[in-house]
Amino acid sequence: MDMSQYRDLFLTETREHINNLNKLVVILEQEPDNRETIDALFREAHSIKGMAATMGFDRTARLSHHLEDLLDDFRSSGQIPSAAIDYLLSGIDILDGLIDDLQSNQPERKIEAYLLETPEPQPIMVAEESEPEMLVTDAEAPGEAEEETASEEEPLPAEPDAYQVLVDLAEDTPAAAARGLLILREIEKSGELMSSRPNMEDLRGGAPCQQIQAWLRTTLAKGHIEEALLKISGVVKVRFIDDRRKEERRNRDEGVRTIRVRTDLLDQLVNLTGELITHRHMLNTATTSRDWDDLTQTLTRTGLLLDDLHHHILQARLMPLESITGRLPRIVRDLSRKTDKKVTLQLTGAEVGIDRAVLEALTDPLVHLVRNAIDHGIEQEGIVTVSARREKDLVLVEVADDGKGMDADQLRQKAVARGLMTTPQANNLSDRDALMLVCQPGFSTAEAITETSGRGVGMDVVKAAVGNLGGTLEILSAPGQGTRFQMRLPLSISIIKILLVSCAGHPVGVPLTRVERTLDLQTSEIRCSGQKRGFSLDEEVIRLHSLSGALGLPEVAAGETTWVILTEVQGRRIGLQVDHFLGQREAFVKSLGFPLNLLTGLSGATVEGDGQIVFIVDPLSLLEGCQLFTND
Amino acid sequence: MALRVMVVDDALFMRNMLKDIFVRAGHDVVAEAENGEVALELYQELKPALVTMDIVMPKKSGIEALQDIMALDASACVVMVSALGQDSLVLEAVESGAKDFIVKPFKEEKVLEIVNRVTG
Repeated sequence: MDMSQYRDLFLTETREHINNLNKLVVILEQEPDNRETIDALFREAHSIKGMAATMGFDRTARLSHHLEDLLDDFRSSGQIPSAAIDYLLSGIDILDGLIDDLQSNQPERKIEAYLLETPEPQPIMVAEESEPEMLVTDAEAPGEAEEETASEEEPLPAEPDAYQVLVDLAEDTPAAAARGLLILREIEKSGELMSSRPNMEDLRGGAPCQQIQAWLRTTLAKGHIEEALLKISGVVKVRFIDDRRKEERRNRDEGVRTIRVRTDLLDQLVNLTGELITHRHMLNTATTSRDWDDLTQTLTRTGLLLDDLHHHILQARLMPLESITGRLPRIVRDLSRKTDKKVTLQLTGAEVGIDRAVLEALTDPLVHLVRNAIDHGIEQEGIVTVSARREKDLVLVEVADDGKGMDADQLRQKAVARGLMTTPQANNLSDRDALMLVCQPGFSTAEAITETSGRGVGMDVVKAAVGNLGGTLEILSAPGQGTRFQMRLPLSISIIKILLVSCAGHPVGVPLTRVERTLDLQTSEIRCSGQKRGFSLDEEVIRLHSLSGALGLPEVAAGETTWVILTEVQGRRIGLQVDHFLGQREAFVKSLGFPLNLLTGLSGATVEGDGQIVFIVDPLSLLEGCQLFTND
Repeated sequence: MALRVMVVDDALFMRNMLKDIFVRAGHDVVAEAENGEVALELYQELKPALVTMDIVMPKKSGIEALQDIMALDASACVVMVSALGQDSLVLEAVESGAKDFIVKPFKEEKVLEIVNRVTG
């Protein structure tokens, strides 16, 4: 039987099981005698074993079988010894790695060394305290035993521009030690080889060599090094690790690339397609017979069918937030041990559906915010809450901690100290804007850059990612009251509702999610002070900007009535003057290619019924980009 | 680019096989040697761009010949040809300066792949 057709399904499902395994083990660490959880763990391992064996993935099957056996013992004893937690987790990591291998069509990695290990009898805390000692033993005995797990656990040397190169050799490589020496020699050519495992001495002594881990400092491009190494006979895979997060992201990305669609939903899609075909025939008939009534009616019905189709296809693209939060319990667990803080993770609204593409882009920001909360928010003990809920056409995803909170004054001082603004400018910032300062590139609240959240993805990247999706980021915090990072995201990013307006004779689209409301003001109500214009609304003075002006188009003088879009930029209401409102519609947004994608403020374009191209404007980035907003 | 190659092996069969591989790939086999002593003499005389060197040979072994050649010309490009199970000899050769090694039985494309890498 040809099993290849089941491969994708196997990979997707196994990832889900692995996610569950991680989650359950973290629960068990808190409640070691939770029978139900032990049973659930056992079932997860059992499921993977069955599937892997059917697929003929021998090592995956053997490892999951091994875990299943182990869990079965715990099932009979009714609890999991604390020493077994780490062992289970590293087994799950290897399992995840095996799925990586299968996904990239590589031979399954070795598991024998892991199978030979047994959970250490002493309590975990001892192992943790003796960490420096572990390093010594690592260096002394670089044998087979550590090969499997070492790559992930090995701490990077302190040098900032160093990274780890992992070179995998084919299993049947003859004279592997000599091959290893050649590889190290090649690596040496590309920079400073700081250390390696196995090292040259080990290899000269004929040490077994299936994988080489080398720490390298270099200015050469990774692609260049990879190319040279892959040319060496017997080298099957070259990987670079400069940050553990990258590996994680790769794994998670795979998870969202395939989705499962319920068959009844597929049936509905097929039905709708059938209906549309019928309607096309009806349109044909109506056109041929020039029956305008019939034509109009059929067009109306076709429109309804398309709405229906859109709705259903969106449903198919929706995935629960859970599909990217699955790894969070494990990340929180590892991080709280590392930082020596007691952190509890609470997840609510994990079932809320979000568009696949939005989820994909949200994965990294979410992890960063959680790391951030643990690192900078929580002091010794606390709760990190990740929650999601629908708000009309938006989804609110919030990462909150009950830690020390952020001090707006401290941030203002820091901005001045960093030379980002003058003291009066800083004092003029509202608390809300001052909190947003942490999203400035290079602005970090932590005194020392920590390994967990001070590097790599910064808050500026989080903000940019949310902005690119057409969403907004808001920070709510006060000293002693914890911090809440709120991301408001559109449900879908490919088909959106837009408000069509006219600017200097050009139609321009504004996403409805960015429109708080529209106004028609008497032009006489507009007040001017110098270059600035504004108007009063609900006892608030609102700055007015011209959309034409911001887009660099000639400005058309308003008649008696001035048409205004009310929108929000950085927590403040802003009026955007346009020439006319042309109406609302659904638009299929296409992203802009180079060089149009370099223009600030344009988020895409759509094609009108008459073939005209309409650019979609994102008022938020447009106004920020024009500095219209920040200058006051 | 055509390379000037010297093939060193005590077995005519292996020499012919390697020679055919090189000729088919457009290289010039400028010399053949059946032991290390001859190899050293011919190397001095012809300075080939590439040497394939069997390890176990009468008179002077491949490793000794390699060491002598490297002493003579540190930039010499020598690729060892070994049989399976000679790991420690291969190690010694690599430490002595061999640029790479081919393990018998070998495939034509494997040989050329290795040759391309070390001369590229």
